[in-house]
Amino acid sequence: MKIDLMKSLLVATTALLALSGPVHAQDAKPAYAPVTDEMLANPPAQDWLMYRGAYNNQGYSALDLINKDTVGKLQLAWAWPMAEAGIQETAPLVHDGIMFLQTNNNIVEALNAKTGDLIWQYRHVLPEIPASWSYQANQARRQKNSIALYQDKVILTTADAKIVVLSAVDGKVVWEKQVLDYNLGYSYTVGPIIADGKIITAISGCSIAGTAGGCYIFAHDVNTGDELWRFNTIDDPNNPKQEASWGDVPAENRWGGTPWTTGSYDPATKTTFWGIGMPGPYSELIRGSGDGSVLYTNSTLAIDIETGKLKWYYQHLPRDNWDLDSPYERILVDQDVDGKTQHLLVTAAGKNGIVFALDRDTGKYLWHKDTVVQNVVKSIDPDGTVNINTDLISKAVGEEHLVCASVSGGKLWMTGSYSPLTQAYYVPLTEACNTVAPTQTEFTAGNAVGAVKFGPRVLPEGITDAGLLDAVSINPTQGDHIWQARSRPSMTSSVLATAGGLVFGGDAARDIKAWDQKTGDIVWTQRLNAPVGGYPSTYEIDGEQYLVVPTGYSNAASSISSAFPEIPLPTGSGNSIFVFKLPKATN
Amino acid sequence: MFRFLAVGLALLATTAAFGQSSGIPPEEMNNTRRLAGDAINVCFDVTSLARPFDEEIAKAIGDALFLQVNVIEGFGGFPLNGDGFIDELTLAMNNTCDMFMGVSISANSPLSDAFSLTRPYATMPFVIAVAEPDWQSLGDIPKDRKLGTAMASLGEMNYITWAQQQAKPDRWIRFPYADFDKMATRVLDGTIAGMILWQPALARLQKEHPGADKLRIVANDPIPVADINVGALVSSRNTFLRSQVDQAIDALVQDGTIAALMEKYGYEGHAGE
Repeated sequence: MKIDLMKSLLVATTALLALSGPVHAQDAKPAYAPVTDEMLANPPAQDWLMYRGAYNNQGYSALDLINKDTVGKLQLAWAWPMAEAGIQETAPLVHDGIMFLQTNNNIVEALNAKTGDLIWQYRHVLPEIPASWSYQANQARRQKNSIALYQDKVILTTADAKIVVLSAVDGKVVWEKQVLDYNLGYSYTVGPIIADGKIITAISGCSIAGTAGGCYIFAHDVNTGDELWRFNTIDDPNNPKQEASWGDVPAENRWGGTPWTTGSYDPATKTTFWGIGMPGPYSELIRGSGDGSVLYTNSTLAIDIETGKLKWYYQHLPRDNWDLDSPYERILVDQDVDGKTQHLLVTAAGKNGIVFALDRDTGKYLWHKDTVVQNVVKSIDPDGTVNINTDLISKAVGEEHLVCASVSGGKLWMTGSYSPLTQAYYVPLTEACNTVAPTQTEFTAGNAVGAVKFGPRVLPEGITDAGLLDAVSINPTQGDHIWQARSRPSMTSSVLATAGGLVFGGDAARDIKAWDQKTGDIVWTQRLNAPVGGYPSTYEIDGEQYLVVPTGYSNAASSISSAFPEIPLPTGSGNSIFVFKLPKATN
Repeated sequence: MFRFLAVGLALLATTAAFGQSSGIPPEEMNNTRRLAGDAINVCFDVTSLARPFDEEIAKAIGDALFLQVNVIEGFGGFPLNGDGFIDELTLAMNNTCDMFMGVSISANSPLSDAFSLTRPYATMPFVIAVAEPDWQSLGDIPKDRKLGTAMASLGEMNYITWAQQQAKPDRWIRFPYADFDKMATRVLDGTIAGMILWQPALARLQKEHPGADKLRIVANDPIPVADINVGALVSSRNTFLRSQVDQAIDALVQDGTIAALMEKYGYEGHAGE
C-alpha cells in the first residue's frame, strides 16, 4: 500500500542518510578533473559524459578496441546490483575513471569504473508524498534515464520536481532548487543537459489535474539555480496558430505536451532541440479540441538557449487520438554533401516509429521513412504536412479502432544511435497494435482516471517477430532501410553504436547483442540475468575499453510478452549493470 | 507469485503508457495472505468525492459483520489518462486492502478479473448546475454559451454521446475540467454557463466553495439522466468476503441506514441499486 510504502521509504531513507557521503573511500581519488565546457562540446572518447555521449544525442562512441574482430572475446570485468528495484532506464556516465549511476527514487552512486567499487552514494530524501499523489511514487519507481556532469558537480532532477547539485567527489549536496510544486503533480522523469552555463530541464506530470495549462522546458543558471527562462509546450501566446490549434479550449483546460526525453544541443547555433509528447486527454472527443492539431504536442521544438524563444517547430503527428506521443530522441547529424555541410535533425519521433529528417537550422521537413507497421499516418506532403488517418478517430464514445503502433510502441523511450561510419540510424522498435476507444473510466465514483481504453498489445497481422532493429540510412534527400534485424522478443534497451563497427543492444530474452553495423549480422551475444535495459555505453581506462550493460525490469518486455510466450520473463527485477572488457592480450 | 505476476501483467496490458513506460517490479508485490482475525483493511481514495460518506458506509458494513474496520487512506492524484493507476491499484489490493470503497460500478470500470465489485450501496446522479436564476433546465441555456464537464466522467460521456447526435448549432461547446473548484469558479464568473458533475461533488462545493450558494441544480433535459452505482472493490481471491459484504449492504439498504447517511450528506439518488 502506498502509505506503508512511503513510510517505509522514509524510514529507510532516514536510516541510510548516514551512508550518503563517502561510504568507501578506498578508491576515491583525491582530485577530480572538472568537466569543462570544452569537454562537453567535444567529449573525450574515453569518457561517456552525458546521456547519449554528446550534445548531438547520437549515442556513438569513437572507441574501437572492441570491434568485429575482438567482440567475441569480451569478458565480464565486474557487475553491480542497482540500489533499488524499478523500471531499468539508467544511463551510466563515466568521467575521470568514475562511473556515475542513477537509480530510481533518485539514488546516485559513484563507482570506480575500473573495479566496480563504490565510492559514494547519494539517496535523495523524498518528501512524504501525500496519499493523494500516488503518481509521484509510481514515477519514483522508475529509473530516471539521465543525470548530468559539469565542473566538479553531478546534476540530477528528482521525482519531487527539484534540481539537485551534488559534489562529484563525495556526493554531498551543494545546492538544490525546488522548480515546481510537486503537490500539483509536477515531477521530473528525465534528466538535464548542461549547456551555455545553463541547466536545461523538462518537467513531467503534465497530465495531472493540478498541472492543467502548463508543461515546461526550463533553463536555470548552473551556478545559482536561478530560473532564466521557461517555455510552455501547450500555451504559447506568441503564436496565434498554436492557440488556435486547440480550438475553443482555453489553456487552463489543456493537458499533456510532456517532453519525455532529454533534448539535444547545437553549440554552433545555441539551439536546444526537444521532442514533445501527446495531448491530454488522448481523445479529441474528450479534450474538446475538435479537429485542431493541438500544438505543440507531438512536435520537435527548436529553442534559443539564450532567450528561451521558439525558433521553429515541426509537428510529427497532429491531432493525436491514440497516445502515440512523439517525444523521443532528437539526433543532430552533420554531413558534407557537395562541399556543403548539411545540418540535419533525425528522429524516430514517436510511437508510430516513423523516422524523420529535418533541416535543423530551419525546421524544414526533408523526408520520412516508415519502420514498424503503422496505420495512423496516411501520407506526408512534400512540405512536411502530416496527413493522419481520420478513419481511426472515434466519432462516438466507445467506438473502437485497431491502431498500429500500440500505445507501448512501436518506438518507446529506448533510444537509437547514429553511426558516422555507416551514416545510419539504428532504431530499436517493437511491432505491436492495440485497440483504442474513448470511454468513461471512473474508478472512485465521479472521478476520472482515464478517458481511453486500450486493448492488449498484439502483433500486426502476418508478423511473428515482436523485435526489430532497423538500420536507416541518413542523408539530406531520402533515407532507406539498410537492413532490418527481426527477433521474436521485443527490444528492451537503447542501442550504442561504436567506431568498432558495432551496434550494441538487448532484448526481452536477456540477450545483449552486437550487430555488424554494415550487415546487421549478430557477431556477439551474451545472455544475462534480466531483460537488457537502459542505455548501454562504453568508456576507456588505462588503454582498455569497457562496455556497460544495464539489465532489469522492463515494461517494454512485459507489455508485449504474450507475443513470445516461449521466452519466460524473470519474476525478479534483477536490476544490475554488467561491465565487460577484452582480455589484456586482446587489447 | 506467478499467479499474481500474471495478474499484474494482464492489467498492465490494458493501461496507458506514456513516453516512458511504467509498471510494477515484481518485488513490490507481497506474496502473503493477511491474517486479520476480526478486522478488515478498508481503503479509500483520498480524492474520492464522497470520502466521508464512504467511510461511514464502511463502518456500517463492519458493524453488520462484527468486523473492526481499519481505515486506510488509499491513493489518488493520477493523471487524467490513468497512467500508473492500475499499477498502484494492483499493489494496494495485493498488499494492503481487503476492500476499497467508493468505486464506480459500471461496464467501463477500469478493473480486471483480479478484482470483484460488490453490490452497489448507493446510486447517485450527475447533475447540471448553473448560477443564472432564469434557467430551469439545460435546454434554457443559449447555445452560444459554453459548458464545463467533469473530465472523463460518466456525466461527460453522457453529454458527448448526446451532442454527437446533434447538428453543431444545436449543441453547446464543452470544456473538460479536472478541478471542480476551478469549474465552479468559471460558472460563477460567467466563463461557462453551467457544469455537469456528480451531485456529491456539487454538494461538497456548495458547502466549501466561496459563492457556491449561488449554484443550483436545473433539469437535465434535453440530455438523459446519468446515475452512478457506487460500491466497493474486493480481491477476486476473497469470494467469501464479497458475499458477506453484499449481504451486509442488502441489510443496510433495507433498514434505511444508507438512505439516512445520504440524507445526512445532502446526496440525491437512492440507496442500493
